[in-house]
Amino acid sequence: MPLNQALVGKEYPPLSMEVDRDSVERFADAIGEHGAVFHDAAAAQAAGFPEQLAPPTFPTRMQIAVSAAIAGDPDLGLDYTRVVHGEQAYEWLRPVCVGDLLTATPRIAEIRGRGPLEFLVVESEIRDAAGELVVRARTTLLSRGTTGGEA
Amino acid sequence: MKTRPRIEDVRVGDAIPTLSKVVRRGEVKAYADASGDQNPLHQDDAFAQSVGFPGIIAHGMFTMARVVKAVTDWAGDPAALVAIDVQFRAVVFMDETLEAGGEVTAVDPESRRVTLSVWAAVERDGKRVLAVKNSTADVRLD
Repeated sequence: MPLNQALVGKEYPPLSMEVDRDSVERFADAIGEHGAVFHDAAAAQAAGFPEQLAPPTFPTRMQIAVSAAIAGDPDLGLDYTRVVHGEQAYEWLRPVCVGDLLTATPRIAEIRGRGPLEFLVVESEIRDAAGELVVRARTTLLSRGTTGGEA
Repeated sequence: MKTRPRIEDVRVGDAIPTLSKVVRRGEVKAYADASGDQNPLHQDDAFAQSVGFPGIIAHGMFTMARVVKAVTDWAGDPAALVAIDVQFRAVVFMDETLEAGGEVTAVDPESRRVTLSVWAAVERDGKRVLAVKNSTADVRLD
């Protein structure tokens, strides 16, 4: 069943996340990022940052939640068990630090088909508590349909 | 912080150092917990087999994180990374050696921007399989 084209442009409710030290530590450890600026506030400050840095792809934590929220939209017709992550883009306007309160506002930017595959493009603007843009994220999910596709 | 490359010294065609790591099950579980992506494809062998894989696969975003690290390690500054756009082309299985790297494709001394073509790859059955290709990163060097 094809995805609902009428949802292109639809905005979803904002999703917020506080960047806490423990989550940053665990994320940095999980990706094998042992640089001092990701583990130690003093080291980050010595390097000119206001606080301990989150690894650049840390906002993935928000993207996972965003994707789940959109996949759960009953109007979209997406079977999340048949979805793979096709492409991911990030643009950083500044590094994410411990203590940031980030809010992502996702919208469906594009739905396009190619054979049995459909591409769902979700764009999010991620802003800080002051409303300043911190990260732009674009996630492309490949939907392999709900009938006849290969696993 | 390590030494940072100066834009005057960067040339089109320069390769950045390749990062290499064997992907272990425990790390993929740690990434699932740290990112919140608890898809069983990354944790449950039986589920992964039910959709045609020999076993669980690493998260695409784990692979992307390694590509990002290759770039920021080279740049010597995590804040130097301005943008990245990564295409996932193949999955990565447990205990495979995941390499990540890139080559300089453009240098603009005016804006101090360097564009890299970035990749991630594993060796499988004697062949090099690209998990990430046709991907770019933009870096600003001071």
